[in-house]
Amino acid sequence: MFGLLGTFLGTLVGVLPGIGPALAIALLLPITYTVSPSSALIMFAAIYYGAMYGGSTTSILLNTPGESGSVITALEGNKMARNGRAGAALATAAIGSFVAGTIATLILAFTAPTIADWAIKVGSAEYVALMLVAFSTVSSLLGSSQIRGFLSLAVGLVLGLVGADLQSGLSRLTFGNDAALEGIETVTVIVSIFALGEALYIASRFKETGWKIIPMKGRALMTRDDWKRSWKPWLRGTAIGFPLGIIPAGGSEVPTFLSYSVEKSLSKNKGEFGNGAIEGVAGPEAANNANAAGALVPLLALGLPTSATAAVILVAFQTYQIQPGPLLFTTNPDLIWTLIASLFIGNTLLLILNLPLVRFWVQLLKIPRTYLFAGIVSFAMLGAYALNTSTFDLSVAIAIGIVGFLFRRYGVPITPLILGLILGPNLELQFRRALQISAGDYGTLIASPLSKVLYLTLFLVIVAPNAIKLVKKLKAKSNK
Amino acid sequence: MKFKAGAKSELTFVGSLFALGVLVFWDTWRSGLPEINLTISPKLFPYVVSALLMLLSSILFIQVLRGDLAVPEGLEPGDKIEKSDLRTFLVVLASLFAYLLLVERGGFVIANSVTFVGISYSFGNKNLVKATGIAVLLSTIIYFSFTKFLHVALPSGIFKGLM
Repeated sequence: MFGLLGTFLGTLVGVLPGIGPALAIALLLPITYTVSPSSALIMFAAIYYGAMYGGSTTSILLNTPGESGSVITALEGNKMARNGRAGAALATAAIGSFVAGTIATLILAFTAPTIADWAIKVGSAEYVALMLVAFSTVSSLLGSSQIRGFLSLAVGLVLGLVGADLQSGLSRLTFGNDAALEGIETVTVIVSIFALGEALYIASRFKETGWKIIPMKGRALMTRDDWKRSWKPWLRGTAIGFPLGIIPAGGSEVPTFLSYSVEKSLSKNKGEFGNGAIEGVAGPEAANNANAAGALVPLLALGLPTSATAAVILVAFQTYQIQPGPLLFTTNPDLIWTLIASLFIGNTLLLILNLPLVRFWVQLLKIPRTYLFAGIVSFAMLGAYALNTSTFDLSVAIAIGIVGFLFRRYGVPITPLILGLILGPNLELQFRRALQISAGDYGTLIASPLSKVLYLTLFLVIVAPNAIKLVKKLKAKSNK
Repeated sequence: MKFKAGAKSELTFVGSLFALGVLVFWDTWRSGLPEINLTISPKLFPYVVSALLMLLSSILFIQVLRGDLAVPEGLEPGDKIEKSDLRTFLVVLASLFAYLLLVERGGFVIANSVTFVGISYSFGNKNLVKATGIAVLLSTIIYFSFTKFLHVALPSGIFKGLM
């Protein structure tokens, strides 16, 4: 029941243009405030996949990808729709997502407990290293400019500082405001930075731009030839997407691009790429979904979110006092298996529900933009308010909305901010814990082999590429 | 000195991030430490964050001065960057503040409707009567489904007793 409702709502919200999966889940959070944890989990799993799928529909029919993972789908899928093959594109996206989701969830079910077993031995010092790696890769891989990524992270860390320090009770950055002592609600930040920021940005900059909907003819069906051309890309996409989801590689951008270039180089009909090749939809869509499931591995096993969407899910768990991490597998194994089972159910429901309902979703795209954004904004405000029924949260929401606008205007990526806000307090806690155990000896941070490996990775990801760039620049200069 | 179009506003933005770093530093510096023995002071982390902010924003400031301007979201490098429409921006902002002010005084339905119509107007809707109709209907539906089915309390405001 909750699964069905979740799939329906997830797709419903995800299909709306301009709403990516992270925002879709954040917007639907208030609905789950009062249901029991296990039903909420089932709903989340369903919303997660539903929102992902909804995004691909928008990309194919409107050419407005809601998130970086659907950019490729928009590229090829929209061309297919223009050639009158919208049905086939939607079908290969749906079935590909299903295949990838099922395989990836299976692997998740087998690997997550093993990783958690291992993770339980990870100490505070190693956690510090892990988080630093996650911060750096996400900040430097997203967007065009590394420095802007790290700035976004730093602002997130500042937001995470607000409130009373848990260990000493020292109030930081509250400026005498009592409501601020509790800290800034993560949900409020996510909802407002996406929804309000986007509304401010689009309203004041892209007023005239409208959308062109490509009418869909026929049903969402694939011919035999389509099947023949799709199944291999589905599997290859899954193989690329899942491992890249586990490591913090900054979301679904990299795997989808990789899958696209693999399909392009393997295809017999290279000429079709760029003009609507079905492989170019099938592969990246599968990679996107497998990547989303892969991201659940570090989230469940380590409590480390590696994408904005995973971060929202982490927050959703926390509203139920569930702390994902290695301990969860021993303290609350039922919950984990409920979640994994509901991922399967959600995925299957998605396929059953969406192939016949595709026409209904297409109708949704016809909602005028003025009402669409009005609805999104008012729902976001409701979400911010209903969390604590406090107007302080609303003022925070408006302020963060303005930050969201400025970030968009000046090309600063948003995901690092969310990661900083969520993981910042955690990083500080683990850092202090590690040093308390070692009685203030900083050497403990790099004592274990794992930490050494992680810091080496950090060095390779951040320092090395910049050093190479510098050397190249100097060479180019001396050659002149 | 001559700037590229948009450079000045970006410098202001980056400058304000630097100011944020200074603010964090100042707030940490002036607060008194509680009398507990802690291995790591609760001030260390804020100091690191503020230093990070100041360092990064300084680097970006220099980059922008050299002409490495940001590409706004949704545009490609080289696209012409148009000025934001300040009036629309303010209408959106006003609609948000209306929600903040009205939700507890006037109740959810009123606040939600006002915001809905305001945003709809800022996106270029001319038919405000229709927008108001949709807004009131939608807000009422949301109000009842949240309070009756989901048991999330929303302020009834001036309709207290009626709803």
